[in-house]
Amino acid sequence: MTVTILPREKTSALFNALILFGSLLAGLVAVGVVFLAKGINPFFAIGEIFTASFGSAFGFQETLTKAIPLILIGSGLALAYRAKFWNIGAESQLLLGAVFATWIGLKFGPGLPAWAILPLMFLAGFIGGGLWGLIPAIFKVKFGINEVISTLMLNYIAAEFVKFLVVGPWKGETKYGYPYTDDLPTQAILKHLGSTRISLLMLVIAVCTALVLAFLVYRTRFGYEIRVIGENPEAGRYAGIDFFRTSLIMMFISGGVAGLAGVGELSSIHHHLSYPETISAGYGFTAIIVAWLGRLNPGFSILSGLFFAGIIVGGDAIQMSMGLPATTVNVFNGLILIFLITGDFLLNHRVRFQRRVL
Amino acid sequence: MKKIYALLLALMLASGYLFASGGQDTAAADDQGGEEKVKVGFVYIGPAGDFGWTYAHEQGRLYLEQQLPWVETITVESVPEGDAVRFIDRMVQQQKCDVIFTTSFGYMDDTVQAAAKYPDTTFFHCSGFKRSPNMGTYMGDMYQIYYLNGLISGALTETDKIGYVAAFPIPELFRHMNAFGLGIKEVNPAATVNVKWTYAWYGPDKAREAAEALVSEKCDVLGFTEDTPTVIEVAQEHMEKGDTVYALSHYSPMQAYGEDATITGQLTDWGVIYEQVMKDYKAGKTADLSNYDLLWLMKENAVELGASWDEKINGKYVDALKAKMIDHAEFGNISVYDLVMKRYDQMKQGREVFDPFTGPIYDQNGNMTVAEGEIASIGHLFGEMMYQVDNFATPLPQN
Repeated sequence: MTVTILPREKTSALFNALILFGSLLAGLVAVGVVFLAKGINPFFAIGEIFTASFGSAFGFQETLTKAIPLILIGSGLALAYRAKFWNIGAESQLLLGAVFATWIGLKFGPGLPAWAILPLMFLAGFIGGGLWGLIPAIFKVKFGINEVISTLMLNYIAAEFVKFLVVGPWKGETKYGYPYTDDLPTQAILKHLGSTRISLLMLVIAVCTALVLAFLVYRTRFGYEIRVIGENPEAGRYAGIDFFRTSLIMMFISGGVAGLAGVGELSSIHHHLSYPETISAGYGFTAIIVAWLGRLNPGFSILSGLFFAGIIVGGDAIQMSMGLPATTVNVFNGLILIFLITGDFLLNHRVRFQRRVL
Repeated sequence: MKKIYALLLALMLASGYLFASGGQDTAAADDQGGEEKVKVGFVYIGPAGDFGWTYAHEQGRLYLEQQLPWVETITVESVPEGDAVRFIDRMVQQQKCDVIFTTSFGYMDDTVQAAAKYPDTTFFHCSGFKRSPNMGTYMGDMYQIYYLNGLISGALTETDKIGYVAAFPIPELFRHMNAFGLGIKEVNPAATVNVKWTYAWYGPDKAREAAEALVSEKCDVLGFTEDTPTVIEVAQEHMEKGDTVYALSHYSPMQAYGEDATITGQLTDWGVIYEQVMKDYKAGKTADLSNYDLLWLMKENAVELGASWDEKINGKYVDALKAKMIDHAEFGNISVYDLVMKRYDQMKQGREVFDPFTGPIYDQNGNMTVAEGEIASIGHLFGEMMYQVDNFATPLPQN
């Protein structure tokens, strides 16, 4: 028997949707098998994950809290992936955003009112994440360095840099020797909605960012250029698109919005800079799946961000109610991603099985 | 096309509810118990299988469930410091826990916040010093055991360099390391303590790196405060290659990870502590926790000397310690083994009989921190100790 793989020329919307739904379903079935192997009723476990995150007021609050960074980063990644720029470095762009905002917050926070310091921190965070995003873009366009490698490696550099700051020069005076900076002054801290951990401002910023980026991609010349770069670089060159400029702006925005997520985590949740894994909890990586599930449409990151936030939050719940290890959520996310990517492959390729004719 | 995606995503979310309805029936069926149960939540810093700190707490929790049938427990593991609130919220609001134990120093401020937010829930924070009407503290502290480990290490070192792999520069670690240092000094004034900081409670990779670095700097006894048996494994590997590198087990009985390398160690029995806290809770003694600090030491049998629960000192090294004679200010010419046992008996009777932190004690800069003849206060040991005593060779970590 032979297997032939051919590119699929055209895909209908219905087929597209079916593939998406099918891969999610297949992912859930695979997750179910893992639960079954642990002797747990998969319907109960998966049901528990979704009730815990969407089925109660308390759970939904926490889902929204986690969705904020995922929506922001996911929409930024969708932008980069549209141009086929495989940015795996959102984690580090988030961290740099948090670093820049910490510096501004600690340095100027005490002397400024909230209406002045918060915008400054957001601006600094955007620039921090954006600059960190520029590095791999320059590497790629100028020197042809594969961005998957460079963005991935920059994650480690940023993480070590943050550790250096919190263990060394920025270590707080009031933190009993822990590697944390001092807390930001009160006016540099984002207020929460009631007794939740949701910052309404961050939620608005996240949703607006996703919508603005969607507009950018589908309704502007810049968005068109990004898509052309992604789809057909040669045609882009003939059409006179400035690769260097477009790539740089695109990555500055993609990194910048991840930086905004960093400001949010810093100012709304942690109130001080600490170890990289505490500041981020892997949002930069989870957001890769968010962008894919949203079909690389920044607007859909809102929905897919909510979905994966729900899985993270539901994961806490199944840990408590079923005694499953904390890493269960990683298995869940990993399996879903594998099936989404497989689905994407099937969407764009035609696989044909043929019996060998003798 | 976009509409179809949006619709499908909405469907996905909705399907969660469909699955969920089946789940709730099962949960309801579990709830049929006769006696009124007290629900207790445990928040762990590492994985329950770290075979160190968190493992020891997990053993304590299992013991608690076994001893007190009216206690029902749930756990969350690997909870990052600074994100504990989210898990506590769920324990209180969804799981309806009556009592919550937060088992790491770094949860202190989060626990204070949570206690203020949920006045009807009772909180106990391990190893901290902040309390409130519904938040008490507890600790099984092993600084006395560290001192005994120091006596033994000081006697066995050939290179007069003793290594220490330390997680975070906080009072708990300085207390333990200083007690260790004071023990070493008592039998071997020439020996120094050399520290490497890993900045992680659970970081086997970092602990390995630090331990290897200490060995290459000629340290031949390794102590540590970190939540895994990694340092023991490193020492054992060196032993098997023919080098002499000893190690001290920490929190859990880790002898199995290094039959030759492990001389002795520190053990904590959290089970008896958790049992006491919950009995106090049941007896209604925990209505106001502002002064509730269950600090158990050797006297209360919360801590023990050894790398296993069966023997205090690895049988392979007992003879060497019996043969090692020193001139001691208090006991005259005595073997280190006898000295360890004498101090062990003294400390079993309580702090007032003997305490390693009896002055004069000097820090690295030569400042006297505990005056001649005085015993350091609990406040000094648990809240203020941010220095290293004078036989430490490495400086304090940079600020």
